[in-house]
Amino acid sequence: MQAHTLHHDLQRCMRRFGRQCRGQGKVLVTLVRQTEQQLLQLGSPIAALAHAAQQGLQRAPHLAEPQRDRLARHLQAALEAQHAISTQSRRLIQGKRRHHCKIVNAYDETVAPILKGKSNCPAQFGRKPGLLSEPTTGFIFATRVPVGNPSDPSYVLPMIAKVHEAIDRVSLPRRLAIHSVAGDLGVNDAALRQALHARGILTVGIPQTVAPIPPSPTQEEVRWSLTAAGLHRKRTPHQVHLAFACGHSRPVVESHIASLLSRGAGHIRYKGLQGAVVQLGMTVIAHNGAAMVRIRQRRLSKRAQKFRRLLGLRHRNVNQINSSKN
Amino acid sequence: MRLFRHLQHWLTGSGTRLQVADFVPKTHPLRQWAETFPWAALVAAIDRSFAQRFPQDSTRGRPPVSPRVLLALELLKHEVGASDEAICHRLRTDFAVMYACGIEAVQWDSAQEHFVLPETLAQFRQRLDEALMDELLAIQAATAMEEGLVSPAHLLVDTFPVEQGSQRVTDATTLYKAQKKSSTSSRPLPRPAPRKRPR
Repeated sequence: MQAHTLHHDLQRCMRRFGRQCRGQGKVLVTLVRQTEQQLLQLGSPIAALAHAAQQGLQRAPHLAEPQRDRLARHLQAALEAQHAISTQSRRLIQGKRRHHCKIVNAYDETVAPILKGKSNCPAQFGRKPGLLSEPTTGFIFATRVPVGNPSDPSYVLPMIAKVHEAIDRVSLPRRLAIHSVAGDLGVNDAALRQALHARGILTVGIPQTVAPIPPSPTQEEVRWSLTAAGLHRKRTPHQVHLAFACGHSRPVVESHIASLLSRGAGHIRYKGLQGAVVQLGMTVIAHNGAAMVRIRQRRLSKRAQKFRRLLGLRHRNVNQINSSKN
Repeated sequence: MRLFRHLQHWLTGSGTRLQVADFVPKTHPLRQWAETFPWAALVAAIDRSFAQRFPQDSTRGRPPVSPRVLLALELLKHEVGASDEAICHRLRTDFAVMYACGIEAVQWDSAQEHFVLPETLAQFRQRLDEALMDELLAIQAATAMEEGLVSPAHLLVDTFPVEQGSQRVTDATTLYKAQKKSSTSSRPLPRPAPRKRPR
């Protein structure tokens, strides 16, 4: 009887919410908050009822053991789903006005509001993929779509591991290696720096202050960088110079992101975390194909061509006769 | 040969046999784009992953569409910004899309209905997982490194926000969800398979 009354009250509350939204053309956040409070107050006896139902289920003699297990499992799943939805509904959109005819899916626990790094603008609600790309051509080596919204430094090591997996597949006589990683202030983390140094990777491109990184370092800066990283034997001053140049031109990564956004990565249309991974992965592979076409056709900027020359990636002209002119 | 066998329901015709490569110039953007991919390695990785996760119990039934075609369609979708329906439609008439999908020759007067259905593309997508996507990207990166096109020496890391989870609320979607919910709640339990009659 009590459960029936509760069910009726909850339905009435939702019907009232629907009537208030009718004709508005949008769902008002204040109204959602008020209705959420009412629903939570009305639904507070549900936990006690569920507990009583669980006890009653255990005492039911007329139910077979498998049936009892199945019902108990369904009851537990319903309780956990209610908890997840109520948690997710409290995290919704922080006052941001949604577009016309759009709602936010609160049933996907892997989606979270993206608040960090935002100043004086509404929170974004969705996913925050990470990418690891080459600065000259925009070739993306690794991506990561995490669950929720973790801190930026937590992206780096898993993506570095993916690049190492790719390097392991290369069958070249000389072993390729990652020399440096550049990022913004968001990945400025002491533990991350130590972990990268332990792998032989320079972190001169990750700034420690808002001051810009010099494009060409002095001898003192080169020495200090190698000493701080403890990589005197592993990395050369030439590699430090390249790392500084890479860190100085770090904002070029925004053009790589813009290329992904132009291919539809700005709005994930597939369902769930797996869908986001698949869509972003396919977008990145398609983007890499376009980047390889540009490299083969030598449609690169002067800066990219110079950087590739310094890295030993100069395009060989097979039609040129290299024999002696005498 | 395997690809041809899978597509023979469309390729077998009585008319002139057209070589797809003859109709797509070498300077065509899609041809140049498609020639950058290590298709054999990518398809082998997909076959290996599918064989492990979705083993085939029986060899009966119509042969599936080749993963080479489905993977190329999925990548083309993001390259040209087309929907599932649009890219499947273009596959029937666009020689550049056929070339990118690895189709070498077609019969001009054969029936073209339901060449690759958009539903087939969606089912293919559902079978992809994170490990496989990482493997595909690693294969592509390894190929580019072997060719000397890119180097992993100096890398940039960054994150960017994307929107997910919003959906259009229309009468059609509401009706569809209601019908789906009612059909799942009122669906009877699956009946046991009838026993085969001994021959």
